[in-house]
Amino acid sequence: MSSTLIIDSLRKQISSCEAQLKDLRRQLAEAEQLRRQKQEKERLGETTVANDPLDHDMNYGIADAFRSEVYAALSPLAEENVMRRSWPLEKAEYKRYGRQLIMPEIGLQGQLRLKNASVLIVGVGGLGCPAAAYLAGAGVGKIGIIDGDVVEESNLHRQILHSTSRVGMSKVESAMVFLSSLNPNVQLTPHPSRLTPETAIPTMKDYDLVLDCTDTPASRYLISDTCILLSKPLVSASALRIDGQLVVLNNPPLPPGDPKGGPCYRCVFPKPPPPESVVSCGDGGILGPVVGVMGVLQALEALKVLTRTPEPPSLTIFSAHANPMFRTIRLRSRKPKCAACSSSATVTAEALTSGSLDYVQFCGAVNPVEALRPSERISAENYAKVRMGVNPFTGSENRREGHVLVDVRERVQFGICKLEGSVNVPFSEVARTPVTTTAAEVAQMPNRLDGDGDDRKEANAKESWVDELRRNPDKPIFVVCRLGNDSQVTVQKMKQLGLDNGGKRWIGDIKGGLRAWRESVDLEFPDY
Amino acid sequence: MSYVKAPAGHFTVLYFAAASSYTAKSCEHLPAPVPALELFAQLEKKYPGIGQKVLSSCAVTVNLEYIDLDGEDAQHKDLVISEGDEVAIIPPVSSG
Repeated sequence: MSSTLIIDSLRKQISSCEAQLKDLRRQLAEAEQLRRQKQEKERLGETTVANDPLDHDMNYGIADAFRSEVYAALSPLAEENVMRRSWPLEKAEYKRYGRQLIMPEIGLQGQLRLKNASVLIVGVGGLGCPAAAYLAGAGVGKIGIIDGDVVEESNLHRQILHSTSRVGMSKVESAMVFLSSLNPNVQLTPHPSRLTPETAIPTMKDYDLVLDCTDTPASRYLISDTCILLSKPLVSASALRIDGQLVVLNNPPLPPGDPKGGPCYRCVFPKPPPPESVVSCGDGGILGPVVGVMGVLQALEALKVLTRTPEPPSLTIFSAHANPMFRTIRLRSRKPKCAACSSSATVTAEALTSGSLDYVQFCGAVNPVEALRPSERISAENYAKVRMGVNPFTGSENRREGHVLVDVRERVQFGICKLEGSVNVPFSEVARTPVTTTAAEVAQMPNRLDGDGDDRKEANAKESWVDELRRNPDKPIFVVCRLGNDSQVTVQKMKQLGLDNGGKRWIGDIKGGLRAWRESVDLEFPDY
Repeated sequence: MSYVKAPAGHFTVLYFAAASSYTAKSCEHLPAPVPALELFAQLEKKYPGIGQKVLSSCAVTVNLEYIDLDGEDAQHKDLVISEGDEVAIIPPVSSG
């Protein structure tokens, strides 16, 4: 990080603190004024109160929603002669928030609620960035941001608070720079580390509302459980590839066992997905506007939670290529036997803080794949020698045409960059190919072939990759993927399919995949 | 793509996120009626492995309503999916 950035960041923090100080001075002035008013009233006696027509109208003639606005507008007027007129918002705030202030859905009352609210945003990535920007812009009084990561170049296509010049800076710090310059009235609290079961309660307890903008199943259960224990509403969203989900949980935030409270994450998804099926944005990909729209919707739901009465629970699913793109599903209320929010809940504050609730274990961890023996693996350097014509194991001549290089990355990735001469067999096809079946049996599988033309083509493609590799039974097969995990699984599968001719043909993988190839052989090979 | 209405005697299944990746489809039509509790077994027959890898953690909805099939006293265990219904298989998406 360059020194200019540090200076810039410090300046922003100072101006943010000065804004807080100004806010505190204003609050003090208001409190002192209230005390003066009270003393004045006591001095005059309380004779007028009972028959005051204004009092009657305020209590019986005005709808609840407007009462505080009328009070807010009238009370300074009554004191006009006593002292300088004071307004509930700063002069600049009327202007800054004017466009939302004039909406009946917000109004002065709503704006004051936002100003007095505190929101915790867990994760300032693809979801947290737009959510934080809109909440800071809308004038939420206090915003806490948690993240333990640093800004990377591959974040920038979607994480709109960060910038090219802040790559390498902590995400929390980078977000602070953006948000304090967007709206210096907002009091920002940085939490520059990952949320853990031990820190969850102390970190979350002082906020009114929590936004789950994280990216793992474990953090989703942890945040939901903590929100139940602390009776905080939770706005949870997620996104991958072209899909997104949004749900407002624990709203109203009633204690565990109260069936009138809103459902929690466990009520909707009681069982975590199997760990090997969990795909990150880094592996599966993510389109910026997809995660962006989900983050923006989180901000919208947060504004609704802070300014309106709770609505019946629903889950909104977004799919960019579907029509309609949004579907909203009615959710049931709390699950009668939910582990977190029912009367038979097993999730307790003690269990959480003592660490006896192991979220990583609950969701399962994926161990690094160590499926192959050393003799079934080759380093990227040694494979480079194979391509040069020398077999590092036997020392014999080994021309490039003398082996088959199978790249098991998905088609799109193969299309981005590949090693010359490699053939593509996407891992998804490898995974779908049944081990016990021969090509003839695949052709007979009824369910694979009863669909439309695409299904038929796909089924044919599946049998053909095995057949294709059978065609040259003597050539050794080298399998490569992006990082060196799928390649190992593929080698095993190929052997189960009998492609090694009972051990006569060598099949192995390139250790560390194309990343290792880039790091130790060809620095110019694209890193995506 | 947009979803086509199910033909007579069928219902629609929508596959989202991991369910869509696993089946390589975003929707399809299956013969109705089917008891809700038998839906997963039917899908498992059609897509071997989907039960453990995808369905075990999914939310299931019928006509945009969440259905509860989990456990002995599940609220919707007697529900029958009928002609024209729209079923959605919704795996949890956790990244962001």
